[in-house]
Amino acid sequence: MKLDTGSVLNITAAQLMGAIAPQLPPGYAQSSASLTGFLLTFCAQDHDSAADTRAAENADMRALFADLAAGVREAALRDRLLAASQTRDASLRISALDAANAELRQLLIALHEAVDGVPAAEAKIWTVLRSLAARRVVMLPGQ
Amino acid sequence: MSDDISPRLARYLSGKLGAHVEVSGLDRIAGGASRETYRFRARYDGRERALILRRDPPASLIDTERSVEFRAYGAFHKLGLPVPEPIALELEGAALDRPFFVMEEIEGCMVGSILAPDPYGSHRRKIGEQFFRVMGRIAGADPHALGLADFEGAKDAADCATHELARWEKEIDEDEREPQPIARAAIRWLRKNPPPPARKISVVHGDYRTGNFLYDGDGNIRAILDWEMAHLGDPLEDLGWALDPLWSHGDPSHPAGTLPRAEALQVWEAASGMAIDPAALAWWEIFASLKGLAIWISAAREYAEGRNSDPVNAFSGWYCLSFHNKVLADKLGTLAGAA
Repeated sequence: MKLDTGSVLNITAAQLMGAIAPQLPPGYAQSSASLTGFLLTFCAQDHDSAADTRAAENADMRALFADLAAGVREAALRDRLLAASQTRDASLRISALDAANAELRQLLIALHEAVDGVPAAEAKIWTVLRSLAARRVVMLPGQ
Repeated sequence: MSDDISPRLARYLSGKLGAHVEVSGLDRIAGGASRETYRFRARYDGRERALILRRDPPASLIDTERSVEFRAYGAFHKLGLPVPEPIALELEGAALDRPFFVMEEIEGCMVGSILAPDPYGSHRRKIGEQFFRVMGRIAGADPHALGLADFEGAKDAADCATHELARWEKEIDEDEREPQPIARAAIRWLRKNPPPPARKISVVHGDYRTGNFLYDGDGNIRAILDWEMAHLGDPLEDLGWALDPLWSHGDPSHPAGTLPRAEALQVWEAASGMAIDPAALAWWEIFASLKGLAIWISAAREYAEGRNSDPVNAFSGWYCLSFHNKVLADKLGTLAGAA
């Protein structure tokens, strides 16, 4: 293992949870130190996967929009969906991917409302929502 | 900070109790993000009592009325349920900068961490029977007889689901920092598929779950805590929340890490005197995960905007949020025929 962001976060978390927190008096301080260790492990997971997760989510939502836009009655929304389906992530900075992700999620909500009661479209949307949820799950230390 | 407030707390309690009170050993303990929780010893009238101080934080996770929590403790303590005795309520900020209340400390007990795979060990059955029985007794109690009929919430049995759904949708509207497509889809589903009216209007604890009760080394539940979200509503709301997978220690077939689900429901029915409508319970279980999302979204906002830097808010806004998004996406996705 080389020294990188993920290893520093994981090793610091282990130190905090295993060596430092037990030395603190039981109570709020000890509990908070342990919980902070958990947070550092989440940061380590996110450091490795953040760009990949967001890029994959954005691609899934764009593909969904391309697939379902034709079935949307409202012209303005249909045009927005088609336009969004054509966009691409020009930067792999997390802030840029997050901004695009938020716009696409907002559009996904509008799409879901628009196809409410259309089972085939709803099933496709839920497949993407399941995928979004699964990608964002964080694991507790030791899981 | 603890040292600063000890003499002020002693002055306040001296005035409140009409005796010279000495406060010692004030120590902040873990006790949720909605209130700062401290334990301390109070010596007065020749005796020493172990007490708990629950003070509003600078910013509260969910806006809750502290008198509600205080009155709920008092009502259910009198009913004989394992609930600490409330001692003093202060709604003004003069004494300790923020509103607070004081109650007895139940000593020598443990809290089951929601992260522990098997927190109750050989006592899991005994604790589970008490856990679901006490919840059933809360559900079966008459809000009028308890003196809590003026609590916030639905007044008509037909309105419980609509009322609670609107309440938590409003929290999401106000606190989301990014679009929440799963929460929005869940709200639409819940609205389109309402449950039947409640069997009765009950006092709903609002956060009845593993992690919010104290038990002793013999497996006796000694205190049901954290009544700050108590309100009037459908008694199945508490049951749905307690059954949620987040509180099941990795095994939803044994809710709260205790009894098999079917047995847990039987204990609740016997204690409450009410039969459970499976369709209604299914709705309240999905609602529970949506309510969880709303709370975690609020926690994330409080932390991210610097109003409450307690790490439990970051944990809730990250781990718990992702957990409940997945629970809802899996449940509702299955109903919608998703791949």
